[in-house]
Amino acid sequence: MSTLAPLVLLLPLAGFLVNALFGRLLPRRVVAWVGAGSVGASFLVVLAIFGQVLGGQRLDQTYWSWWATGDFSVPFNLYIDPLSTLMMLVITGVGFLIHAYSIGYMADDPGYSRFFAEMNLFVLSMLLLVTSGNFVWLIVGWAGVGLCSYLLIGFWYERTSAVLAARKAFVMNVIGDVGMVFGAFVIFLNLRALDYGTIFARLHQLPRGGTVITAICLLLLVGAIAKSAQLPLHTWLPDAMEGPTPVSALIHAATMVTAGVYLVARMHLLYDWAPTAAAAVAVIGAVTAFFAATIGTVQVDIKRILAYSTMSQIGYMFLAVGIGAYAAGMFHFMTHAFFKALLFLAAGNVIHAFRDDQDIRHMGFLRRGLPITFWTFLIGTLSISGAPLLAGFWSKDEIIRSALTGTNTLTVALGVLALITAGLTAFYMFRLFFTAFGWEWLAHDERHLHEAVRVQTVPVMVLAAFSVIGGYFAVGSFLNPVFGEARQIGAGTQIGIGLVAVVTALAGFLLAYQLYARRPALAPAIQARLRPVHTLLWRKYFVDELYDRIFVRPGYALGAFLSGVFEPRVLDGLATGVVSFVQLVAGDWRAWETGRVRRYALWTLGGAGVIAGYFAWVLLVARSAP
Amino acid sequence: MGVPAYYFLWLSGVLFTLGAIGVLIRRNPLVIFMCIELMLNAVNLAFAAISRYLNSLDGVAFAFLVITVSAAEVVVGIAIIVQVYRAGRAMDVDEMDLMKE
Amino acid sequence: MAVAFAVLAAWLLVTGIGVVASRRPIYNALFLVANMLGLAVVFLILNAQFLFAAQIIVYAGAVMVLFVFIIALLNPESDVTVGRSRSEWLLGGLSGAVFAALLIVLLANRDLGGRPGPFTPEVINHAGNVQSTGTALYTTFLLPVEVTSVLLLVAAVGAVYLAMRKPR
Repeated sequence: MSTLAPLVLLLPLAGFLVNALFGRLLPRRVVAWVGAGSVGASFLVVLAIFGQVLGGQRLDQTYWSWWATGDFSVPFNLYIDPLSTLMMLVITGVGFLIHAYSIGYMADDPGYSRFFAEMNLFVLSMLLLVTSGNFVWLIVGWAGVGLCSYLLIGFWYERTSAVLAARKAFVMNVIGDVGMVFGAFVIFLNLRALDYGTIFARLHQLPRGGTVITAICLLLLVGAIAKSAQLPLHTWLPDAMEGPTPVSALIHAATMVTAGVYLVARMHLLYDWAPTAAAAVAVIGAVTAFFAATIGTVQVDIKRILAYSTMSQIGYMFLAVGIGAYAAGMFHFMTHAFFKALLFLAAGNVIHAFRDDQDIRHMGFLRRGLPITFWTFLIGTLSISGAPLLAGFWSKDEIIRSALTGTNTLTVALGVLALITAGLTAFYMFRLFFTAFGWEWLAHDERHLHEAVRVQTVPVMVLAAFSVIGGYFAVGSFLNPVFGEARQIGAGTQIGIGLVAVVTALAGFLLAYQLYARRPALAPAIQARLRPVHTLLWRKYFVDELYDRIFVRPGYALGAFLSGVFEPRVLDGLATGVVSFVQLVAGDWRAWETGRVRRYALWTLGGAGVIAGYFAWVLLVARSAP
Repeated sequence: MGVPAYYFLWLSGVLFTLGAIGVLIRRNPLVIFMCIELMLNAVNLAFAAISRYLNSLDGVAFAFLVITVSAAEVVVGIAIIVQVYRAGRAMDVDEMDLMKE
Repeated sequence: MAVAFAVLAAWLLVTGIGVVASRRPIYNALFLVANMLGLAVVFLILNAQFLFAAQIIVYAGAVMVLFVFIIALLNPESDVTVGRSRSEWLLGGLSGAVFAALLIVLLANRDLGGRPGPFTPEVINHAGNVQSTGTALYTTFLLPVEVTSVLLLVAAVGAVYLAMRKPR
């Protein structure tokens, strides 16, 4: 395995280099093959590794020593265990499907090679993030995905809105990065190590639940929150939908935004040791899940709805890892990757068909024109809503179950919140489906919409298949070596909670059906009645406005002050001041250079006199001393 | 040797000072040169005296070298002064300020 | 011996003052020649016969002759120094006096301080004064001698070059 592991990283790296350096010169087919092929090849290698890991193999291998001074050494080492393998499978597997889809979706775009290069770079960074065996390279991968997110959100850089969104995403990410890095600092200060093996081994030196470990976990949490778009660092995700749809699917649904979940899961020993921080994780997750779901109920842009949905589902994952149900969280990560990528890609097909109009109110009646997209999107919606026996049902249910059977009241309360959110999820997803795709079976369609090309529909179908059967992958037992045996819950409780979840989801579905399929006129009426509530949700609880007031405007003011006042006056003043001072002194001293020989001679003599005087004085002193 | 050594040294010092004053006071470059020669001679005197009183040949040899060097210096200096004269400039050291700044 | 020294000292002082204080440059030159000749005799007293010869031949004979020729050629006017401002006289005189005082104090040190060498006058005279000086020059002082010879070459070339240029 030790040779396979770096190969996983090298393949996307090669793809990136080829497309970045030569992409413009190569024909489109080659770019596509290289771009998608590198990820596909990487997936095959990961499959091989997966086979080995199933057989019990692990890896914690140092490949080269990057930096070693004194007792601080940062090697480049890779850490392969079931957790990282799961991540790699999703990243490369789903990633490959999305890359293949992009071949069709981005076909008309002039920045074709740039797109694939940046996507490959992203895959590389994400893989590095999950396979790294120490904090330094984790942070490198972390920053790398942040960079690629920025590049890809702002892919269509002539669009002001895209550029602003990219900048917003990046700034928020950096805030998180600061927290992460400080967390790493504190770890190093206390445990004198940055590689996972040593950190885990020395963890118990710190007092359980003490300030240090809580601080570490909270700082890391800041990074996770920013990267995973949880409250309060969530505002960048909806805006990130400015990027091309494949980007939204890969980065802002399946992988990068789950990096925060991965972080907590990887550091589960630390979070087990700092219950307060873990509780914070869970609370933030559950609250975000609810919060995002409520906003999603009133949005009208298809991608934004999906973005809030992502935020909400990741909240579920955070809830899971916060209460200690790590395997459940990772299970939901996997199923979410399947159906969310599916939903985004299918949405991409729809957007393409409507020539980049993303407003769902303009859509409808899509069954005839886009049949494949229609049915696959339906499958995705069912899965995410927790329809029984589909993948989403199994994973979401496991989380809710873990929460409701928790040992303290907080956990149970969060479980209830999660349950309510499940109902909301079903509601807004079906609202989306009914509004955008329509339910009339027999209506005529005059718009002549056509389905997308094969390279775009096949990946969608594959993902749909996984959204159905993904629930049967034994993720839990696969991850047992990492997280330990899951808590056993009685069969009766399992069924009971499952039923409650299904009923809640059904309620959401029925509500959406009534409002949007059967009696469409009802919705605007309710909206008018609940206008203040609607406004609150429509404006996303005014969080953006709040941040603008607190952070953005003062930031701009500071920038203006620094560039307008401080720099010209103080800094330049300092520089010119030095120059003036030197000129002043030099002007005075220039008077010495008279060119008059006798003046020089006088000074020479004077100097000689001083020397003579010194010797004379020495002599006198020597003389007088006995 | 009835004369104490330091008499010679005092004499040397006085001559040196005379020459120094001359360098400072006079303005004709040729005269300044001659005062410089006076200073060098004074130094030679000191060398010879010390050489004699310390039973050494070093002073004498070095004095000889001083003579040589001063001869070379005089040659070049005179050449410069002649050029200055031929250029029509005044024979005044204060006017020769081309090395200014 | 003491008498000789007294006389020579007086001669040197008088001619020295003459060098510094004369009005016309030609008098300066002549005073300097006299000074050098006096110095040569002092060298004799100090048992430096070679230096005596060198002083007369090189210094008084070549260098001063050069000076006299140039003065005759250029015929510079008498120095207008005497009409100079008070401050210049004052400055020069003051610094000179200070310097002289310093020197005197320095030289008030009665003992020479150095370590006596082996070359007493008897030894030197036995081996021959010129021979001894020559040996010293070409053994201990070989490097300075060679460098000085290069210096002379440079000076000669330089003087010729300078003289060749058209004056600006």
